[in-house]
Amino acid sequence: MPELRKDPVIGRWVIIATERANRPDQFANKEQDLTPEKPCPFCPGHESETPSEIYAIRPNYSPKNGPGWDLRVVPSIAPILRIEGEIERSGRGVYDTMNGVGAHEIVIETNQHIANMADISEDQISKVITCYIDRIADLEKDKRFKYVLVFKNYGWSAGGGRIKHSRSQLIATPVNPKRVKEELVGARQYYDYHERCVFCDMIKQEINTKDRVVLDIDGFIAIVPFASRFPFEVWILPKKHSCDFTQLEMSQRLDLAKVMKKILKKLKKGLNDPAYNYVIHTAPFRRQKLGYWKSIDNDYHWHIEIMPRLTRVAGFEWGTGFYICPMPPENAAKFLREINEDAI
Amino acid sequence: MAELRRDPIVGRWVIVDNDKPALPKDYEYDPHSWKGGNCPFCYGNEAMTPPEIDAIREPHTAANTSGWLNRVVPNKFPALQIEGELDRRGIGIYDMSNGIGAHEVLIDTPYHNKDIPDLLNEEVERMISMYCRRSSDLMKDKRFKYIMLFKNFGAAAGASLEHPHSQIIALPMVPKNVMEEIHGAQDYFDYRERCIFCDIIRQEMQEKARIILENKYFISFFPFVSRFPFEVWIIPKKHASSFCIMPPEEIPALATILKDTIVSIRKLFPLMPYNFIIHTSPSNGDSAHNEGYHWHIEFMPKLTRVAGFEWGTGFYIVPTSPELAAKLVKETQK
Repeated sequence: MPELRKDPVIGRWVIIATERANRPDQFANKEQDLTPEKPCPFCPGHESETPSEIYAIRPNYSPKNGPGWDLRVVPSIAPILRIEGEIERSGRGVYDTMNGVGAHEIVIETNQHIANMADISEDQISKVITCYIDRIADLEKDKRFKYVLVFKNYGWSAGGGRIKHSRSQLIATPVNPKRVKEELVGARQYYDYHERCVFCDMIKQEINTKDRVVLDIDGFIAIVPFASRFPFEVWILPKKHSCDFTQLEMSQRLDLAKVMKKILKKLKKGLNDPAYNYVIHTAPFRRQKLGYWKSIDNDYHWHIEIMPRLTRVAGFEWGTGFYICPMPPENAAKFLREINEDAI
Repeated sequence: MAELRRDPIVGRWVIVDNDKPALPKDYEYDPHSWKGGNCPFCYGNEAMTPPEIDAIREPHTAANTSGWLNRVVPNKFPALQIEGELDRRGIGIYDMSNGIGAHEVLIDTPYHNKDIPDLLNEEVERMISMYCRRSSDLMKDKRFKYIMLFKNFGAAAGASLEHPHSQIIALPMVPKNVMEEIHGAQDYFDYRERCIFCDIIRQEMQEKARIILENKYFISFFPFVSRFPFEVWIIPKKHASSFCIMPPEEIPALATILKDTIVSIRKLFPLMPYNFIIHTSPSNGDSAHNEGYHWHIEFMPKLTRVAGFEWGTGFYIVPTSPELAAKLVKETQK
């Protein structure tokens, strides 16, 4: 019998369709990505094809916008939001508007032409993590911004482009996005009632039951969430409570890189290199102002959500926020756990 | 400069690109293609589906034989099951319930390769009448809190069979997005004692900048805050909270505007895949929502791929503003 499950944080119900089920491998990516590749502006030697760099790791102090970098951040060539200008809010009848002020940056994760982050070294991924943290800290200084969203689109069906060079994106927004707010409100409600962090409780329960745990190493846990929206959705959470991704200590960055690489390799190997998105969920900037609540440090818990794009989201899901997940999370976790990502 | 717009009902912000707005030629979508083959929804194959629940038939034809004009069958792979009592329970911090519900497929037409724009108006009317009939019937079941009607057309929009069909799912709880819409509308109503949808209709009819079509009972327009490019709302002009109690004289008007709206957009995007969903008030709840809620159809052409940004934030980027979309559609209507 199918099951309905409720996300304990934001209260979204999902249908876990056990009936149609389901060998894990039947979800494996079948569509070969046939989109023609474009010449790469992100490789060394092509620095002039991107806007001038905002940030770079240059071990030998090579000059800006030239080769010799390990990692580079540039403004998006087609920014969704613009960095210049003051925020102006206005109303038109029942509608509210604001001008599109914000930042949109591209993190070029490696100087090698590698498509999937799964194939980048742990050491290099830890540099990417450090770069995210440095960029978020820098954007926080800009009082116009409330939130920085860090995400990756890998593969065509995940919204990735025709240039197959591993990269992620940062978008600083002048408002707190709706989905983030829902999570914060849900976590606060739980905290108000229980005086405990809902994510910490979730981690404890997952470690006890073990069914949905994919990895539990080095201070991080990777789980297939109880109320998954998508087959093989994976969340990575720090086991130690922390609301803010940017507070991640130097020593933990390599540990997180290791867990990320392992999970991405498992997905690549087990599901035939699927397209995926990941999104870092972290607390918004906590400046003193109206509407800020002090308990946010206690009630929220940062994490990464990885969503392989193996099924098509239909009108049903869009319209209602009610998802049908055709793969029981316990089976997905078992499948991912058993993949030996290090075997060749 | 891009513009941020806030949805007046649920409070979602979207980014509308006014700098380099995308024109129809800029969208790379997977058009629907008719491949044919042995189809369980075609005449002669009635035995390939579970036995029918309802049908509109030519006189003197028996159930589960050919001769139907539209036909409703249980989904062969239901997401929810009809038998049993609802059993909610908790496991530690998690809440769950058994999967009680209904999942039916409405085979909209006997024609394998005719979608709504290719049908006669009366055929579309028949389709809508059946929507109402099935919704009303499922609403009688006290276990169900929400009746959801939707259509996926084209593989890219999630349709697994190409013979045009719609689906109805009866749920034991109200889905999250619907709940948000109801709460948002109720807040507005509590404050102003007016329906926000009625206010939107009034403003849209005054501004005219986003209207596609209008008839005696309905308007179709590109909402000021859409999540997807060329997203359309079709809404009754007169306040009504529930779809399935639509007066019979409005059904032909809805059929006409639904068909003509899809025809207009399809001129820009030949054989585009699409989804539509009927947003209506919950069933078997208290009727308090009737004043503040207003049923409508949300129609979404599947032109873009949704990426990490949208998933993570619920913050959508709309590459073509609704005003430009309206202008482009108007040009094709000339």
